[in-house]
Amino acid sequence: MSSILPWILLLAPLCSAACITLFALRWKALSSFISIMAVLLSFICSCLVFARADISAPQFGWIDVAGALKVPFGLTQDQLSKMMLVLVSGVGAVIHIYSLGYMRDDEGKSRYFGALSLFMFAMLGIVVANNFVMLFMFWELVGFTSYVLIGHWFYRDAAAAAAKKAFITTRIGDFGFMIGILMLWMATGSIVFAEITPRMSMLTSHPTFLTVVALLIFCGAVGKSAQFPLHVWLPDAMEGPTPISALIHAATMVAAGVYMLVRVAFVIQTSQTALLVIAWIGTITAVLAALIATQQNDIKRILAYSTLSQLGYMVMAVGLASNDASMFHLFTHAFFKALLFLAAGSVIVMLHHEQNIWKMGGLSQKLPITFVTFVAGALALIGCPPFSGFFSKDAILALAYQRNVPIFAVGLFTAFLTAFYVIRLLVIVFFGKPRSEVARESRESPAVMTGPLIVLALLATLGGFAFFARRFLALPIEKEVAVFVPAVAIVALILGSGLAIVLYRNRASEPLDLQLLRHKFYFDEFYRWLIYWTQELLAGVFAFFDRWIIDAGAVSGSGRGTLGIGALLRLIQIGNLQAYLFLFGLGIVALIYFAVFH
Amino acid sequence: MSYLELLKLASTEAVVVVTALVVLAIGLTTRREATGVTVATAQGDQNVGGSSSARTNAICSFIAALGLAIAIGTALMLPRKATLFSGMLVITPLTSLFKIICMALAFFAVLLTKSEKSLRHPGEYLAILLLATVGLMLLVSSEELLMIFIGLELLGLSLYVMVAFDKTDVRSAEAGLKYFLFGSTSSAFTLFGISLIYGMSGITSLAAISEKLATVSVQPLLAVGIVMTLIGFAFKIAAAPFHLWAPDAYQGAPIPSAAFIASGSKVASFVVLGKIVLVGFAPLHGDAAWHAMVAGWSPVLAALAALSILVGNFVALAQSNLRRLLAYSAVAHAGYTLIGLVAGDREGFSAALFYTTTYAITLVGAFGVVALVRRETAGDDFSNFSGLISRSPMLAGCMSIFMLSLAGIPPLAGFFGKFYLFSVALRADAGHGLLWLVAVALFGSLISLYYYLIVLKVIFVDEPSLAIASSPDHLSPDLLQRIAVAVLAAVVLFLGLMPDALAAGLLAAMP
Repeated sequence: MSSILPWILLLAPLCSAACITLFALRWKALSSFISIMAVLLSFICSCLVFARADISAPQFGWIDVAGALKVPFGLTQDQLSKMMLVLVSGVGAVIHIYSLGYMRDDEGKSRYFGALSLFMFAMLGIVVANNFVMLFMFWELVGFTSYVLIGHWFYRDAAAAAAKKAFITTRIGDFGFMIGILMLWMATGSIVFAEITPRMSMLTSHPTFLTVVALLIFCGAVGKSAQFPLHVWLPDAMEGPTPISALIHAATMVAAGVYMLVRVAFVIQTSQTALLVIAWIGTITAVLAALIATQQNDIKRILAYSTLSQLGYMVMAVGLASNDASMFHLFTHAFFKALLFLAAGSVIVMLHHEQNIWKMGGLSQKLPITFVTFVAGALALIGCPPFSGFFSKDAILALAYQRNVPIFAVGLFTAFLTAFYVIRLLVIVFFGKPRSEVARESRESPAVMTGPLIVLALLATLGGFAFFARRFLALPIEKEVAVFVPAVAIVALILGSGLAIVLYRNRASEPLDLQLLRHKFYFDEFYRWLIYWTQELLAGVFAFFDRWIIDAGAVSGSGRGTLGIGALLRLIQIGNLQAYLFLFGLGIVALIYFAVFH
Repeated sequence: MSYLELLKLASTEAVVVVTALVVLAIGLTTRREATGVTVATAQGDQNVGGSSSARTNAICSFIAALGLAIAIGTALMLPRKATLFSGMLVITPLTSLFKIICMALAFFAVLLTKSEKSLRHPGEYLAILLLATVGLMLLVSSEELLMIFIGLELLGLSLYVMVAFDKTDVRSAEAGLKYFLFGSTSSAFTLFGISLIYGMSGITSLAAISEKLATVSVQPLLAVGIVMTLIGFAFKIAAAPFHLWAPDAYQGAPIPSAAFIASGSKVASFVVLGKIVLVGFAPLHGDAAWHAMVAGWSPVLAALAALSILVGNFVALAQSNLRRLLAYSAVAHAGYTLIGLVAGDREGFSAALFYTTTYAITLVGAFGVVALVRRETAGDDFSNFSGLISRSPMLAGCMSIFMLSLAGIPPLAGFFGKFYLFSVALRADAGHGLLWLVAVALFGSLISLYYYLIVLKVIFVDEPSLAIASSPDHLSPDLLQRIAVAVLAAVVLFLGLMPDALAAGLLAAMP
């Protein structure tokens, strides 16, 4: 059944962004109203689309160079994309509403909501794209809007630098992504997913080529989903407003990388080598980020590293060739991580933008709703039964246990670390005595902020149960290990939590001092060094080339030369015209010579 | 063939001619009054004469625009296929499409004349502009060498007058003289070439020539004939080394004339050049591949293309006047477009036509911006454009669209045009024989990015100079012209996003 609903849900945020940017920049309330209406419209349409089994959207051609390149504008409407539509627009709607409270007094509120709408458009575009060109286009648009949103408070140097870092780092991955797309296009002659799938069999005789293509496409996900070694931008991106951290850097944008991997699984799963690399990259990211998170002091940064770690789990699942497990974790993670960020935002805004956890403490009485919802999110994150995270993480661990035991071991260790740093956060922020003036005077957030928290807390609690989740996506099937793996995971959980409680109860400062972890394994320092030296070297070479060859030779030489000739010729008006006609005649003679005697 | 039917098929041309006569009559009658007034109040209030002339200008522009709109309507109603007098006047989807495009370009040129203060006799100017448009349509719709030559002359003679029209400006006269001398020389060569071809084949219809030449090998005399025939068109499209008139004409001529030369004249010349080489000289294609050049017209055009790209781009680097810069970039763009014809066949031709059409639209828009800036600051050097963003963000935005499209930046029309041209050229020959030409073109567009970005830097980064800031002439912003510029910018953007809207139509209209 053909319907324009998918188009409406895609274009509504775009219209909103256009209206706000062009007409409504001066009226803040109107901008936020337009933006929220657009995202609600998208959400309703998504639900309608989701409810109808056999829906398809009209497709139209965009670029058609006969025989070379054909790019349609078409929308994928399968179970996977429909689930993502509901998820993205739903979480997006909740965060739009929350932003009303969080950004209440912001100067750039209109700009913020305009960019937020544009981001929704781009993200929904990634979800429904039915070919690589559209996917890449929306992919870049997501990168751009996230740049705008992270740098929303651009007058703060840290925010401006973080925005640049996020954009440039993801671009590095996108470069590989683009090359991968081009190689696939060269080999199969098409960029539409549905057309490439049957043609993949032509390539099975070139396993190396397939591996290279799969890994290059994976590069895009490494950038966007902040996997090792391009993970450095995500923690810095926490300089943006907290709703943005929740929306972009927890529930949607970073999940786009995982979603893309699942979408193009038909390419990736053709190469065992690529799958193994992907699985290990995910595993390394998961454990690395969890280790770093144990020594951070900024509440949002801890959550950012936990995001990295959870994304690592999802990529690990993709690498273990189980799309279902990966999407299941993406699904539950979107709820509980958005919840954690929003609850953290509630804490931050009530403490007048204080983000250091050692300046908090004892907030469980001051902010009861925030506390309860935060606990729900935290328990889901560490995988405590019966919260949603338990089911999805368990699915991934069970999978790893079956397919690759070393990965399972590392994954289990990560689960232990996760429990440790999350409980540490919980203990320091919400228990003990308030450790600063603002913490003593804080009070609960307004309803427009706590409302979304409660909705998300419910989803984070219930989202993992089969009766709920099965409506949205295919659940991974567990086999005989059904008892062993969860049991081990719960032991890890208890060990981690217990250790954290023992270490951090009633502390006023950090008892451990692990410089390596505190400095995030010196990644930033290493990259800075690397970039500095390559840049210096390249700049030196190019400066030489520019000064002595381009400037002195090509530009100044030809430019001044012609200018000089022009000035000379202009001095003698008669000579000018005759010279011109002489050249004209000379040209004719030369051409005839060329045509006749060549 | 009754006269009534002839009139029906030539209705478009007839409407434009009638409009030209009406405009001329109005211009003549009202001008006399206007001069009378001016003489009467000799040193008195000059505003009276000024406003009367402005009113005449407005009336004439309106009638000319209306006439063109009606003519476009009649062009839409032409039959799909018809041939008159063995190819003297041919109607195909392609010719109808390009008649419409030429008239649309003339329409925008008419809009530009509205704000041109230096034109003291708008009636005469517009009448000549319309006659030049008739010349364009004859060129586009003829497949017979004599008729093509007549169209060429009608167009040429009108353009000489249009370039030299501003009698108060020495540069305009100089440009007119240069254009005339070059034009008449190249016409002479073309006529000589046509007579040589006629001597070899005994006929002037393109299709028949092609049949006759199919059995002939390339003899020196025939090669001379071909080269000489092509020279007239190389002059019209300003391909190096026959481009030397262009910088002066673009800079010295009144802006609507320059815009018309850069757009309509160029589009029609490419259409007819394509027809001559691809239909008339089809058997003498030759081969322009680097290692295996075979004599024919395609190596000649390839040489012209490469030379134009290099000369145009290099010399443009050193310009500090925007109109001169556009002139040299026009030389380079003529070179790019020729690549499509060198590639040959339907697809190459349609790529060339797509490119030249989008280029013409872009250039009319750019000249529109130049006209508005010139009106405000009385000049068109780079310094007049400095800080345009703070004076008029709209114009600055449109200009950046035009410049980036010329530079070939996605998602604008210029990018797709270049992409289409180069991909066609690469596919034309199984062994990638035209790779060298594409490499030259890519190198050229790399250089060109520099000077287009310089223009944008002047507009967006440079501080507005003091002389401009204190210029008193800020009154009456020409709304109509601004809208026209914005529409053209939107078209450039649209054709970049949805190139199929034009490209598919062109390919379908190809014979």
